[in-house]
Amino acid sequence: MKIRADILRTYQSIHTWTGILTGLLLFIAFYAGALTMFKPQITQWAIPSNQHLAQVSSDQLDELVTQAMGQFDKARDGFIISFDENQSPMKWYEHGGGRGFRLDDQLRHASLTESGEITTQMSSTNELGTLIDQLHRTAGIIGKVGHEDLGVIILGVAAILYFLALVSGVIILLPTLVKNLFALRQNKGSSRFWLDSHNLVGIISLPFHLIIAWSVIVFAFHDFFYAGLGVVYGDKPLFERPASSNVEYSVTELPSMETYRQQLSTMTHGYQIVSMAFSNLSTKNPALAVEVKTDGQIMRGGYSDFIYLNPYTFAVQFNTLNQASEGVYGPIVNSLFALHFGNYAGNFGRWLYFAFGLLGAFLFYSGNLLWLEKRRKKQAAQQASTRFMASLTIGVCLGSMLGVSLAILLTKWLYLITHQPNSYYLACYYVVFFGAIIYSFFRQPALAAIHLLKLLALSCALIPMSTLIFPLLMQIKSTANIGSHLGVVDITALFFAVCFYVSANKVHQRAHSGEPNSIWALS
Amino acid sequence: MKRLTEAEKIQPHWWRKSLIAGVLGLTFAYGVVGVFAWFGPGGIDAPMKVQLNMWLISFIWLSVVSLSFLFKTATTALYRLTLANIVIYLIFIGLWTLL
Repeated sequence: MKIRADILRTYQSIHTWTGILTGLLLFIAFYAGALTMFKPQITQWAIPSNQHLAQVSSDQLDELVTQAMGQFDKARDGFIISFDENQSPMKWYEHGGGRGFRLDDQLRHASLTESGEITTQMSSTNELGTLIDQLHRTAGIIGKVGHEDLGVIILGVAAILYFLALVSGVIILLPTLVKNLFALRQNKGSSRFWLDSHNLVGIISLPFHLIIAWSVIVFAFHDFFYAGLGVVYGDKPLFERPASSNVEYSVTELPSMETYRQQLSTMTHGYQIVSMAFSNLSTKNPALAVEVKTDGQIMRGGYSDFIYLNPYTFAVQFNTLNQASEGVYGPIVNSLFALHFGNYAGNFGRWLYFAFGLLGAFLFYSGNLLWLEKRRKKQAAQQASTRFMASLTIGVCLGSMLGVSLAILLTKWLYLITHQPNSYYLACYYVVFFGAIIYSFFRQPALAAIHLLKLLALSCALIPMSTLIFPLLMQIKSTANIGSHLGVVDITALFFAVCFYVSANKVHQRAHSGEPNSIWALS
Repeated sequence: MKRLTEAEKIQPHWWRKSLIAGVLGLTFAYGVVGVFAWFGPGGIDAPMKVQLNMWLISFIWLSVVSLSFLFKTATTALYRLTLANIVIYLIFIGLWTLL
């Protein structure tokens, strides 16, 4: 396909500028996003199994709830019933709770002993998965604008530029698309190889990238778009306000748990109830959030669907399941969410999204490298701007991943000294992240890259090691018996340890026997 | 392909084109979504349609912005996008009075 040279030049400039401005932010959002595909698994891996109490059979639930509300004030305000085999049957917040997340929430777990007596145990929540999710949504940028995170807004702006980068990238690729798509030319120098793989990854994952860019813009700016839509709608209200009730409810009238299963059974046909969260029980606006999930169907939330209802009247207030009453538009809207979250094809789909997320991170990383290669001078000393960008790319990308992998590694060890690991995660991430950036500015970028990659390999390799060692240490400390087996988190960490080690060797090779007039050469 | 003269080539005009397309592309997107919302399948009251309408705004808006750099100059961009806005809002008003 022939395209005029001036058009190509115009879109080449757009691609370069939008790419270089957003690449690093998007790198963090994408690799962290890939990890959030397995947020429930990460959270389960992080919490020592002795924090959970034994599950009870469903006909014992009412006994448990009655005893808990009789003995604990906080349980009367609200509580969570979980049907997951590996979770405590009942939990409530002694401290914190509600919308959003905090680092110092305290949960009380409750279960029944064999003789039918209530037994409880306090624990802090573990926010490792949530913090990785937060990193994914904000790229680690702290602060609030109104009720929205500053990082979300910044990533929203980045997503607008990223949309432009996608369109311009496709336009400049069109003339050579058919001829060169699957050509990975290794004999024409490393920069050609990087360009070919950048193009190949960009084209094969284009639909994924378009839906991500679009949905991120919507997630960040929906309030803004709705405000304008209000003008288009004129006198029509955008949303129906739920009628506020004046009935003061009391927790003593709460129906039995079995009633809920019956009430919900028709609505949740084909779904499995994960949990039921009751809140504000003795007020005018009590709420019950029922979390349900299914495999291989689109879901509106990241990992599940939700039904919100009044726990006393069973009136449904909001429901994210695909219901016939929502006509054609309900399923379309829900599928747009599902296409971002990648929850519509079971575990296979999650791994596919995991791969696409990492390929996306690779796209931005390789884009930055191409920018650097293009500005390379045929001399030993490179321009200050090139040097700056090289250090920044290495420091931000590798530093961010090192921060996360060390935080994951710390998890098991933190539980030896504290019950409150969450604030340590944050400290660990930011110290490592900024430390890596400073390091890559003080040392040559190539040297920093080798060192950071080796540290990444080491920290990833230590994750499965600690999973194996940790139970032994816990046994010395207490009599608690914790099983030790390697899960998906450990195997994945081991895989990445190998990848990082191989990369470190490659960078080392290029530094000593590659092109000497390069920012990546070490003499 | 014959060589283009300097006057025939696309002028960058980055800031002006971005600004013009940013504003007029957004009003155009609201126009298209307005027509779809009121007169598209299901009409204004179709359940959940308001959410899809909101999603559509950003897609139309950014499609216009990203293709607006194809206009030769910022002035052409201004004229053409103004024209597109007039057309879509005339359709909107036309449908409103007819139906």
